[in-house]
Amino acid sequence: MASPRDRLPVTVLTGYLGSGKTTLLNRILTHEHGMKVAVIVNEFGDVGIDNQLVIEADEEIFEMNNGCICCTVRGDLIRIIGNLMKRRDRFDHLVIETTGLADPAPVIQTFFVDEDLRDQLKLDAVVTLVDLKHVEQHWDSEEVQEQLAFADVLLLNKIDLVDVEACLAIQQRTRALNPLARVIPTCQADAAMDQILGVEAFSLERALAIDPEFLTSDHDHEHDGAIGAVAFIEERPMSYKKLGLWIDRLVTERGPDLFRMKGIIQFAGETNRYVLQSVHMLVDSAMDRPWRDGETPSTQFVIIGRDLDEAALRAGFEACVA
Amino acid sequence: MAPPQTLVQERLGGACSNAITAQAWSADGELLAMATAGGELLLIDFRAGCEELLRGERDSSLNVVGFSADDRFLMAAGQGGELLLWELGGSGVRPIAFDPLPLGGHWLDAAAWQPQGCLLAVGAGKQVRLWDGASRTLRVESQELEGTVLALAWSRDGRRLAASCHGAVLLWSPDDPGQPPQRCATASAGLALGWSGQGNLLASGQLDGSLMLWPDGGAGRGWQFSGFPGKARALSWCDQPGRLAPLLAVASADIAVIWSQQDPGAKGWKPEPLVLHEGRVHAVAFAPGSRLLATASSDGTVALWDGRGRLQQLLEGDGQPFNSLSWRPDGRHLVAGGAQGQWWLWPVALPASVRTRPPRSGGFAP
Repeated sequence: MASPRDRLPVTVLTGYLGSGKTTLLNRILTHEHGMKVAVIVNEFGDVGIDNQLVIEADEEIFEMNNGCICCTVRGDLIRIIGNLMKRRDRFDHLVIETTGLADPAPVIQTFFVDEDLRDQLKLDAVVTLVDLKHVEQHWDSEEVQEQLAFADVLLLNKIDLVDVEACLAIQQRTRALNPLARVIPTCQADAAMDQILGVEAFSLERALAIDPEFLTSDHDHEHDGAIGAVAFIEERPMSYKKLGLWIDRLVTERGPDLFRMKGIIQFAGETNRYVLQSVHMLVDSAMDRPWRDGETPSTQFVIIGRDLDEAALRAGFEACVA
Repeated sequence: MAPPQTLVQERLGGACSNAITAQAWSADGELLAMATAGGELLLIDFRAGCEELLRGERDSSLNVVGFSADDRFLMAAGQGGELLLWELGGSGVRPIAFDPLPLGGHWLDAAAWQPQGCLLAVGAGKQVRLWDGASRTLRVESQELEGTVLALAWSRDGRRLAASCHGAVLLWSPDDPGQPPQRCATASAGLALGWSGQGNLLASGQLDGSLMLWPDGGAGRGWQFSGFPGKARALSWCDQPGRLAPLLAVASADIAVIWSQQDPGAKGWKPEPLVLHEGRVHAVAFAPGSRLLATASSDGTVALWDGRGRLQQLLEGDGQPFNSLSWRPDGRHLVAGGAQGQWWLWPVALPASVRTRPPRSGGFAP
């Protein structure tokens, strides 16, 4: 198994139809970032076809374990990337474009579930493009909500086509849904390359970055089935045993509804931080660095999902205080 | 106890510029073809003592290579989505390339020549296409699967063709189009397919770490054996008869498992895990004409085992992971390909423990 440093970083690019994915792909392929980037697209379309490292793949969902949503993966990626990795010396980064209507979860899960991809690649970030001009029309679609919820980087694109108020309003709505993502307003998807590639959002060592505004503002409780986020901050140390059991039960009972979870945890009697992240039922966690001098040890925990009962979750979380 | 016999005392080798993805021997054992992830196709002619790069390095991988049963044609395919074919004139004669046949832009990595025939089956997306060596044309009709074709295998008599995808293995007789294909349901994707000679069993190594086995050419009810430590990614049937079925080797994670059938029931199959490698086992292959098994691993070694799973010898290259293995049809020469393009060819002396009696001529069968 390759060490994390040697594993190939993978960026997953999502966004509804017309949000600017192709523009961004072409920017990535032509930009002088000194990296050789291989791209897997669902359709060649307008992507720089001259680039030999653009490979077309037909989305093919493999449901394993009797259709459990958390074990649903992209079979085409397992096959194509398996072939591609024999040419590992030809590129430094892999970008996967998903269709506008795709649920990002199977793509993400493929890199955790498949033994070969897990060992040879590492997810860098899920980058979601939002069409500021048209996103309101599709806001309630399942695909748009999931693409927003799974994002590590949110590019609010086409800022030149909307006024400042409209942009801020959408920014707030996306925040309520996903307080973890880094939000970057763009025109022609012109974000700096280092904000898109090499983000290491799935790295456990990377500090949790919750928008402080999210923690203080009130969130409207939306209709049943709505996707949203809850965040907890706790100054008292947590019990390792209690929190472990609570998270186990949570992902067992609610796994399909839990899109992303991230946490930095202060355990009683521990001088090191504990870090955790998850995608549906796949939980990745480890002991991290010691708390630094001048840093107040505390626990931050964010859950993004569907039908989240904030009060019940908060009660469950607080019961885990040591 | 006699000292262990050394099976391999010398080696030949060479290098391509990119990872070797596939290797194949001609039926007469005089030609060896190797494909690489950098699109190279190397043809070595042992009788003439020369080699030719049939296709040079390019930014497009080749993933499958093979000779037709009559050694008249050589096939290769890969990332470019085209079926590449050459007509062979035998040792010392330069192969003649056909025009590449585009098959819909899919990355091609499953193809198999018909034993005792001249059909070539190729998986192109969800379709299995057939190229006919008799008419030298691609047949118009194709067999459609419910998912992308992941593996293909012909029965030993060349009459039945099996193709796997996620959720099913499909079986049909390409020369009998009136007969509808038979569908064997599976719980996951079949990554490797193989037919036994004796017993006409079909084996499928599955993505979910299980092995499916169907007796009677796929007509019988299938068995599923689970509990492999990872994907069942490669398999090989021994061509020597067993008491019931022949031996079957399956590669999964860092091990290979030799399965032997002890009695006819579902519990009659006994696994013998071969624990030695310290990296993925990428290829397993029984030597033709014996029970000697070779396993190639990403730990940079090739191991030789007897049919009872006893290690006979460990072969090393230069440390780079091994991707592929192919026995010369004589069963006495083994070639392995590495992840950085190096290849090794070892002449192998058969140990007494795997030797089998030569076929009897005349007399009565026991």
